[in-house]
Amino acid sequence: MKSTKTSARTRWAGAAGLSIVAALALAACAPPGGAEPESAPSESTASGTLKVGYISPITGNFAIAGQEMVDGWNLYWELNGDEVNGVTVETIVEDDAGNPETSLTKAKKLVESDGVDVVVGPLLANTALAVAAYTSSVGIPNLHPVAAADDLTQRAANDLTVRTGSQSGSQTNYPGGVWAAEEGYKTAVTLCPDYAFGWESCAGFKQGFESEGGEVTAQYWFPNGTSDFSTYVSQIQAAGADVAFVATAGGAPGPDFLRSFLGLGLADSQPLLMNCCSMDQATLRALGSEIEGFKSVSYWAEGRDSDVVREFSDAYGEKYDGKLPSANVAGGYMTASLVAAVLKENGLVTGEDLVSAITDFTFDDSIFGKVSWDDYNNTVGPVYIREVKEVDGKLANVPIKTYEGVDQWLGKDPEEALKQPSYSQSFQG
Amino acid sequence: MATKFVETRTIRTIGAPRSTRTRLITIVVLVVLLGFAVALPYLGTTSYAMSLVTTIFIAAILASSVNFLVGDGGMASLGHAGIAAASGYGAAWATRQGMDAWGQVTIALSITIVVSLVYGVLSMRTSGIYFLMVTLAVGMVIFGLAYRLSFVTGGENGITGIQRPPFLAEYWMFYWFILGIFVLTTLLLWVIARSPFGASLRGLRDSESRMRSLGYSVASYKLGAFMISGTIAGLAGLLSVWHTHFISPSAAGVHRSVLLIVMVILGGVGTTFGPLVGAAVVVLVENVLSNAVERWPTILGLIFILVILFARAGIVGSTQKLIRRIRRRRSGTPPGDTDLHQETAIPDGELTARKELP
Repeated sequence: MKSTKTSARTRWAGAAGLSIVAALALAACAPPGGAEPESAPSESTASGTLKVGYISPITGNFAIAGQEMVDGWNLYWELNGDEVNGVTVETIVEDDAGNPETSLTKAKKLVESDGVDVVVGPLLANTALAVAAYTSSVGIPNLHPVAAADDLTQRAANDLTVRTGSQSGSQTNYPGGVWAAEEGYKTAVTLCPDYAFGWESCAGFKQGFESEGGEVTAQYWFPNGTSDFSTYVSQIQAAGADVAFVATAGGAPGPDFLRSFLGLGLADSQPLLMNCCSMDQATLRALGSEIEGFKSVSYWAEGRDSDVVREFSDAYGEKYDGKLPSANVAGGYMTASLVAAVLKENGLVTGEDLVSAITDFTFDDSIFGKVSWDDYNNTVGPVYIREVKEVDGKLANVPIKTYEGVDQWLGKDPEEALKQPSYSQSFQG
Repeated sequence: MATKFVETRTIRTIGAPRSTRTRLITIVVLVVLLGFAVALPYLGTTSYAMSLVTTIFIAAILASSVNFLVGDGGMASLGHAGIAAASGYGAAWATRQGMDAWGQVTIALSITIVVSLVYGVLSMRTSGIYFLMVTLAVGMVIFGLAYRLSFVTGGENGITGIQRPPFLAEYWMFYWFILGIFVLTTLLLWVIARSPFGASLRGLRDSESRMRSLGYSVASYKLGAFMISGTIAGLAGLLSVWHTHFISPSAAGVHRSVLLIVMVILGGVGTTFGPLVGAAVVVLVENVLSNAVERWPTILGLIFILVILFARAGIVGSTQKLIRRIRRRRSGTPPGDTDLHQETAIPDGELTARKELP
């Protein structure tokens, strides 16, 4: 026994020694060739191709939203052709399943292995921030069609990251608060999901409402995954405020909340304002005429009377069984049309030139209306107060009031806004 | 009788005689593989490929910490992603406070030890499904804290901009570093598994009541095993944020912990290199196959089902069994009561022991 043990030890020591020697010998050589920077962008510049890496959660919990975001992007190029001003736009779509680690690996794959000129996406706040930090470190522009995280264009802003197809969480809902106060409501109660997006949305509404002299009397938070909203609806009823503001991040919670709200018979007695995603097309299709006349606030209004919106929603409806496009589809489409517009004006631009071409650009007739970009690469554009109405036999969110040129600073100056802590339950600005 | 049984197991696991030839072959294969792994950055691999391999090794370190608990201690943990994430958050927080790499390491490892202690103390008197539930619960607590304590953790948005020490800045240097850590932790776990402590752990796995009646303090052995496993998980967590420069609550999610168990089972519970193989399969399916196949989660599920149905000892374990069976057939031993202890890590030792004992 003993001898086996000792000899085994000696052998292991020998093996370890050998491998160390091998490692040292190898380490003494020149560093590996892979360390050289990629030269892919310049190659594709020569050939007149803009290579786009598109990351989106096509599988997993956020698959529907992720697929919509891809559909919007693809739809634009199908309608208009993928060649603009002599530049061919080539897209590689990658799935990140909503997981930040996978998102990062996909971004690395797109940049280092496929040599893309620009990364578009991903969708969720944490994946977006992870990818933006990576792409900026390797000098590749990153465009965000849907991601709403405030920090993307505030505390974590960088020169190469642009929000192109949406607004930040607090930015969109600030005019909602202003509108509610202008309507003459004196008190408000809010219900938002209990994580960053919800905190930002409610903070936006609250600050807007209070800036016009309103008072938020109670704020309630629901955890992600809530499907039974009856207790929250009762709390809203008990709060007895003049208006209720309810935000969700899209998906099932919107219809679930409204079912409880309608079920408890509050539709006529409690004025309600919802956010972008709780009152999107999925909700309208799920609940039908029951919610006609309901109001919401968003940067996207599919029922807006405009040629570009009509062209977009007709094309989308033709391809997807007469559906109207949601905000996620619009974000993808908006980003594609923006890239096309910038290419048309400047020819092929990559890297920082692409970013500055976008941020110097004013998109006068986008599907969102007139949109420009601020110094932190965030969109400055209109926000619509919308009402659910029937248009050509389909329910759509039709704007009843427009706030033009809304920026992300909620009436503060940027330095002041950046100094305050991130929004949370306890800090709402 | 009982004493004798324990004794035989212990002796067999410490220093079972293996045929010198098998040992030599194993060592040569390992050295060749290690040499290949060391030389990998020179073989014309892209930085993306190296980053994938690095991801695999980090996942393998984390999976081997789970493997140690399951394989030797019989304790399946559903909370290891939580420990790794706690350590990662420690490093991230230290970066935010402007500390250097040593500060990050210190904070990350202290948090790891505290968190592992909490896990260990809460779970040391449980076993089986109860152990699973306790670790799951503590993992959820960590996820909840990461999600809600936004002034420390950044909430859902996570923390970006975590930098690794300057001497590891280049991706290939980091790769070698990770490879070194992987080799060290694997060696460490191998040695621990073959120490008297490891033998006692396996005794616990096989029969807690017997070990208790022999006078072993079952709870303290379990706590000890958890501390070892937790520390390695924490190390993997720190390496992971150094690799991705980023952490968010999803790193602590149950999903990650479940994937770790999947890696361990795919590779082979209790095998030395099972975690590496399992991690490679999961990471490659998640990151490479998903480029081509939209329904990659289905493929991962299918692989898992196939392994459970046809190769219950995992990829590494079943390969070992196969080699053993072929060799046995060649050497003329009649096939019969094979693999009574398919979970033990030393296949050849078992065989020789059985041959010699009568």
